[in-house]
Amino acid sequence: MELTEGVPPVIDLTEVAEREQEEFGKRVAEVIMEFGAENLIACMQCGACASICPLASVGFEWYNKKLIKALLIGMKEELLDDPTPWACVACNRCTEICPRRVSPFEVMFAMRRLMVEEFAIPTMTIEGMRTLYEKGHAVFFSGAGETRKKVGLPEKPPSTIAYPEALEELRTILKNTKLASLGLIPME
Amino acid sequence: MSENRPKIGVYICHCGENIAGAVNVEEVKKFAEKLPDVVVVRDYLFMCSDPGQEIIKEDIRKGLVDRVVVAACTPRTHEPIFRKACEDAGLNKYYFEMANIRDQCSWAHWHEKEKATEKAKQLVAAAVAKARLLEPLEDRYVELNKDVMVIGGGIAGIFAALDLANAGFKVYLVEKAPSIGGNMAKLDKTFPTNDCSACILTPLMVEVANHPNIELITYAEVEAVEGTVGNFKVKVRKKQTWVDWEKCTGCGACTNVCPPKARVPDEFNEGLSLRGAIYIQFPQAVPKKAVVDIDACIKCAGREFGTEPRISKKTGEPILAPCEKVCPTGATDRTKPRDPNGELIELNVGAIIVATGYKVMDKKHFKEFAPDSPNVITAMQLERLISATGPTEGKLIVPSDIPKYQEWKKKVEKGEEVELEARKPHVITFVSCVGSRDDRYHSYCSKVCCMYMLKQAMLLKEKYPDLDIYIFFIDVRTPGKDFDEYYMRCRKLGIKIIKGKVGGVQRLPDERLLVKGYDADIGKPVELVSDMVVLATAIEPSDGLHDLARKLGISVGAEGFLRERHTKLYPVDTMTEGIFICGCAQGPKDIPDSVAQAKAAAASAMSLLAPGKMKVEPLISEVDQEKCVGCGICVPLCPYGAIEMVEVNGKRKSKINEALCKGCGVCTAACPSKAITLHGFTYDQVLAQIRTLAKGGVIEEVSE
Repeated sequence: MELTEGVPPVIDLTEVAEREQEEFGKRVAEVIMEFGAENLIACMQCGACASICPLASVGFEWYNKKLIKALLIGMKEELLDDPTPWACVACNRCTEICPRRVSPFEVMFAMRRLMVEEFAIPTMTIEGMRTLYEKGHAVFFSGAGETRKKVGLPEKPPSTIAYPEALEELRTILKNTKLASLGLIPME
Repeated sequence: MSENRPKIGVYICHCGENIAGAVNVEEVKKFAEKLPDVVVVRDYLFMCSDPGQEIIKEDIRKGLVDRVVVAACTPRTHEPIFRKACEDAGLNKYYFEMANIRDQCSWAHWHEKEKATEKAKQLVAAAVAKARLLEPLEDRYVELNKDVMVIGGGIAGIFAALDLANAGFKVYLVEKAPSIGGNMAKLDKTFPTNDCSACILTPLMVEVANHPNIELITYAEVEAVEGTVGNFKVKVRKKQTWVDWEKCTGCGACTNVCPPKARVPDEFNEGLSLRGAIYIQFPQAVPKKAVVDIDACIKCAGREFGTEPRISKKTGEPILAPCEKVCPTGATDRTKPRDPNGELIELNVGAIIVATGYKVMDKKHFKEFAPDSPNVITAMQLERLISATGPTEGKLIVPSDIPKYQEWKKKVEKGEEVELEARKPHVITFVSCVGSRDDRYHSYCSKVCCMYMLKQAMLLKEKYPDLDIYIFFIDVRTPGKDFDEYYMRCRKLGIKIIKGKVGGVQRLPDERLLVKGYDADIGKPVELVSDMVVLATAIEPSDGLHDLARKLGISVGAEGFLRERHTKLYPVDTMTEGIFICGCAQGPKDIPDSVAQAKAAAASAMSLLAPGKMKVEPLISEVDQEKCVGCGICVPLCPYGAIEMVEVNGKRKSKINEALCKGCGVCTAACPSKAITLHGFTYDQVLAQIRTLAKGGVIEEVSE
């Protein structure tokens, strides 16, 4: 797969529309809706979601409102290199505020799904998935045990770390998701 | 103080904070108490309220006062209220005077409280000075003609006419075009319900034509208007149709045989097709009659009107023009001479409703949008293109291929089996605010464009789901019942709404168009290739509206539409009593609003005329013929034509027609002999006011 170099200075809507038809035989917006953002098309670009989005406030370029608009006009290739969807903290404030029940959070996650399909995944995320498979935690601090002991807690937290059988169950689940078929991380 | 001195009561209104916020009412009160002939001074929070009026009435009833001065707001809105209060309490209502200490004082000097108070005192003193000299006057009544003229036969004029006619009023409906129906007749469907425009309009047109109380005068224009409320004389020019409408059955045979050389762009199809010099405006026309566009007519076979046809040497038959030959009733006979100026008729009516509608701006003004390309069209042209009565019978093809379609149609009608080779559009781009919200053209919002673009996009997308439709907006403005829901329906259909106005359109060699826009949401310029570009061009006043307004003596706003008397309270009235306005002549509006305004205008005309007579204020001018030297200066100055010179005992004297005089005072001020008195504003009264103001609020004693 060939990645484009981000968004060009002038967006060619004709080319964008032709590309979405060629690739999907339908609109990118429809693909995103199938990936879980069912009400994407109701967005009227009011911007309420962006006003309270932590990503927007720290300078990520393709925050909820802008991502939705880009998807509505059929963009996809141009967005694959963008890390914004992976930075979403799923706070869901956008979902609460949206006057059209678009649930921008769902759009962010649908975009992640689309990006995974395209193998457009940041290394950091692959590392996270690997750690998830190996340890049962996407983020795991190996030095946490000492700190826990200092405050009088058992060295291992009561999760997959302390319960290997739970880790096995998690691995079974992961092996049965689309992640296994993509082959992004080794799964034994 | 003698018994017959006037007893003046001064009533000062706080108008909530409006006056009291800048004027020290207590100080004005103390000042007024010292003015000559003032016996009572009172103040109140809202003098115009019921309890406020009751204070005045009570003083009159008790015999405390016999002249009333109210220091409050403007006589324009409140004088009638206080006059009525005086009358109710048994005082001649012309023993009332008003000092405007709000609009002309507190509001104007809000940040200079001391000066405002000082000015209020002077204004009160001037009003008292005049009040001392007031005379009792009696109201007079004028008879009203109950017939009404409606100018303009679009949807607004139709509803105004029908409502009046149904209430029993005789209506003359005057329409410039051969048929009524107006712009609405051109529309395919109407928002927000997508009703077929013709289906809901045609029955109303027929109802108008058949109504016993409506006299339909189409292909006619108002030429001159005289008189005033209740008694207007209107001269109407019935244009020459060049066809005998008594005989014409509207069969349309003549329109089909009019030769190609005589064909000109069809106004009804917004120039997208051609019509003959003899034509019927549109298939559902009411009345369905043919007219000859005499400038386009090439007088086939030398058939000038009013000439005998040549006789064929071969056949011995007369050589007729095709339209004459084909007419089954002889309506198009050219032998009879006809007056090119048509016929001038005079109608007497009591009220006039102006419903002259609008026109849309032509695309030619917008060089940046490639107006020379046939595939750049106005939204009104798109209406015709998608209409079943349009140039392609509603088949969607790019406008550059309309000639191909019409050739194809001719062949098919001849029985040939040929395929239509016309291009169907795949991408259509709409551009909003073309000529509206643009200081280079019109600063106003045309109000209906957002909704009609959405409507057109929706109709197209529903019929042709594969179409890619872009709408470029500055803002989407959909305030109206069910309008925003309509907008959302469009979005959910997959119509691409892009915030940002298009800045340029380029014509490509293949007759497609390169659209250059901006996506404000993404913050980047965008480009696309479109098969058609639809411009939502601005709504403008109809041609000749200024002329008509001048004839009627009503005013036009800076934006060119007719001006209402008061935006909120008198939205269908004009400054000229008896003349009402409605529909797009007053400003851009949609069909629901036009209909509502038309019904309001009809109701206003009804409530004016129903009593059959009207009370008129006696504040008019009168000539003292003893003093008049017969110079005649006043005659041409009168804006209402109310003054004429008459002979009295062998001498020329000026005479004012009471029914026509509006009390403007122009003649009174101009009369070199001071022979004309304007009742309610006599020399003595006005001079007393001026002198009082000149002396800083000191009232001079009146010299006997």
